[in-house]
Amino acid sequence: MNNLVGHKSSLRWAVHISVAVLVVLWLIPTLGLLVSSFRTADQISTSGWWQALVTTEQNVIMRTAKPQDQQIIDGKYVIEGMLFSSKKSPEILAWGVSSIAIDDYIPGETAKLRKGGEISLRGDGYYHMVSDKPFKGSRGTRVFVKASMPPEFTLDNYRNVLFDPANVSGMAKAFLSTLTVAIPATIIPILIAAFAAYALAWMQFPGRALLVAFIVGLLVVPLQMALIPLLKLHMQIGIGKGFLGVWLAHTGFGLPLAIYLLRNYMVGLPKDIIENSRIDGATDFQIFMKIILPLSFPALAAFSIFQFLWTWNDLLVAKVFLFDSSGQTVVMTAKLVELLGSKGGNWEILATSAFVSIVVPLIVFFTLQKYLVRGLLTGSVK
Amino acid sequence: MKKINSLACMVAALLTAGTVQAGNVSLFGPWLGPDQENVEAVLDGYAKSTGNTYSYVGSDSFEQQVRIDSEAGSAANVSIFPQPGLAADFAKLGFLTPLASGTGDWIRDNYAAGQSWVDLGTYAGPGGQDNLYGFFYKVDVKSLVWYNPENFEDAGYSVPGTMEELKALNDKIVADGSTPWCIGLGSGGATGWPATDWVEDLMLRTQPPAVYDHWVSNEMKFNDPRVVAAIEEFGAFARNEAYVAGGSGAVSTTDFRDSPKGLFSSPAQCYMHRQASFIPAFFPEGTVVGEDADFFYFPAYANKDLGSPVLGAGTVFVITNDSPDAHGLIEYLQSTEAHEIWMARKGFLTPHKGVDTSVFSDPTLKKMNDILLGATTFRFDGSDLMPGGVGAGSFWTGMVDYADGKSAQSVADAIQASWDALK
Repeated sequence: MNNLVGHKSSLRWAVHISVAVLVVLWLIPTLGLLVSSFRTADQISTSGWWQALVTTEQNVIMRTAKPQDQQIIDGKYVIEGMLFSSKKSPEILAWGVSSIAIDDYIPGETAKLRKGGEISLRGDGYYHMVSDKPFKGSRGTRVFVKASMPPEFTLDNYRNVLFDPANVSGMAKAFLSTLTVAIPATIIPILIAAFAAYALAWMQFPGRALLVAFIVGLLVVPLQMALIPLLKLHMQIGIGKGFLGVWLAHTGFGLPLAIYLLRNYMVGLPKDIIENSRIDGATDFQIFMKIILPLSFPALAAFSIFQFLWTWNDLLVAKVFLFDSSGQTVVMTAKLVELLGSKGGNWEILATSAFVSIVVPLIVFFTLQKYLVRGLLTGSVK
Repeated sequence: MKKINSLACMVAALLTAGTVQAGNVSLFGPWLGPDQENVEAVLDGYAKSTGNTYSYVGSDSFEQQVRIDSEAGSAANVSIFPQPGLAADFAKLGFLTPLASGTGDWIRDNYAAGQSWVDLGTYAGPGGQDNLYGFFYKVDVKSLVWYNPENFEDAGYSVPGTMEELKALNDKIVADGSTPWCIGLGSGGATGWPATDWVEDLMLRTQPPAVYDHWVSNEMKFNDPRVVAAIEEFGAFARNEAYVAGGSGAVSTTDFRDSPKGLFSSPAQCYMHRQASFIPAFFPEGTVVGEDADFFYFPAYANKDLGSPVLGAGTVFVITNDSPDAHGLIEYLQSTEAHEIWMARKGFLTPHKGVDTSVFSDPTLKKMNDILLGATTFRFDGSDLMPGGVGAGSFWTGMVDYADGKSAQSVADAIQASWDALK
């Protein structure tokens, strides 16, 4: 009875739970990246992102005001103020004045300073330093504090990536360059591949099967192998480095998959329609334009998502074929790498820029996603 | 038809947009971000004094891209190599143009230890004859130990002047219940390079400079007992559980960029960090070098009589696409002005003897330059001089294996084997 059509399997819950678990697992890195993009570089390097969400006990080093701010009260030299500048002051649990004894005192106690004088600290961060002699030096005294810190987030990273005047014109230019690369590099291979796929699926000519096999074979050629010979060719025939070169390269690298995907989809279209229209006197071009293209829309959309995402995220091909010595044709990916700095240490920028650059692919994906699943099944399920 | 016309116009506009005038001289180098601003300030000076224009493009994957561009014939006029070893490979392949005659004499006369800079920039060309191809500009000093002066003060430690004192300080810190060193070898695909600097520094402190030169050129085998001893000397620091923050197991997995942050944490994870002059870029935000952080010269043994050797590195300008203006740029770099512009900014040291050292933007840079000028022996980072497969390959991975517990002898044997395989 269990196997009857329409009867819900008892394993349904197991399936749902495992899907939910997988989705959560899959999203954890993205969530970490999102949380990190709202933290400062120092926070990222000192504690994990999961600790950023709750109040935690932390050891921090604060400084009192500088000796130049001292006042003379009743013949004594006094420096006083608040350790934390923010309104939401963390609660101090213990404190100290030396790096080798960071939690010797509790709030309210008074500690002797090594260079003379003493300091007292309240639980809310108010400190009071007194000495008979004037405080010297250019910097305030270090105070080591163990405090429970509330979560703290910042929008500075986004401000830095998106609105910093030093970056903003470069970013806008890079955004346009990327679109200039990605849109033609998506449309050109689709145009060519659609024609080729029709020919390979529905036109009779000798060696057709061999040609299909050859194109499938091209799928396994790693593009890294072709970089130098192809660039050499571009230099020799005068294309040089630039948008034309990168379009041609993306077209070439994208074609095998495009042709394979579209051909498999078109082969599955009903034979009767095509034969009927042939009998009615339609030419191959008419059949292609009026029947095949409209019917293949899901496959075309699916491939255009693939190709657009690949060209949008691409760094390698752009670096090889696009960047000339003028430095004017920088794409987004390269611009984001630049923001990382010469030695690549700015993780907070990396996290933030990942979320900035994700926006356009997300828009493309959600507008075309209803075709994606249908397109993904092209040729695999009849 | 109209549609096609406007489409053609658009395509034409895009194509011309792609071929913006590159200026008289194009440069390609490894500097990005603040360093890019610095080098562009120097190039602005060049543009002003000659009336020429320039374009500079930086890349984080310089080594790979310059190879692709040179192979394809689309290289910039001037390329800035961080590793002379790589430049030597390019010279042999015929991608470089020798510098104008007389440049060598200028370097000999105006750079401290001039001959050694000429030697470092002289490579065998495609025909096998030696030419001066590289002009060194911007030097890093590597033999530095960074520390937090206030922590030293709190604990009552003083800066060691000799290696013996440094080792005594190590033990004292451990006896006090703390950890002396932060060491991190992690660096993505280049993991292991910080350890090669350690070994090179210790090589210079245990052996005469001539032995170092033989090691770098492989006239002396990598698995020679003297090299193995230097590796073990590094092990005395990095493989001692009590000496390293996080234990010796953390050495190879800690990122070199995160490692120095232990100096400034509360409680301090470590007291010292040996790293090149660029590392303040990775100190926590707001750290002031000279007040919150300071450095001392990684000391030499008092009882070995090897003077005070300094390990350094530098970037070398080579001509990858010949043009008269490219030679003009190299000539401009010989002016004191070209050095002083960057000196007044950040992170620049120079062996040029004629510059006015008062223009340094902060006193710590001057102190570093004094270490450079006061060196009795200056040697270039050996791993940058070795062939790429060793200096940027098996030496790195070998040091990671060593930090993770392999024996120094077997690591050295493996590196020598990889070197033999390249010959």
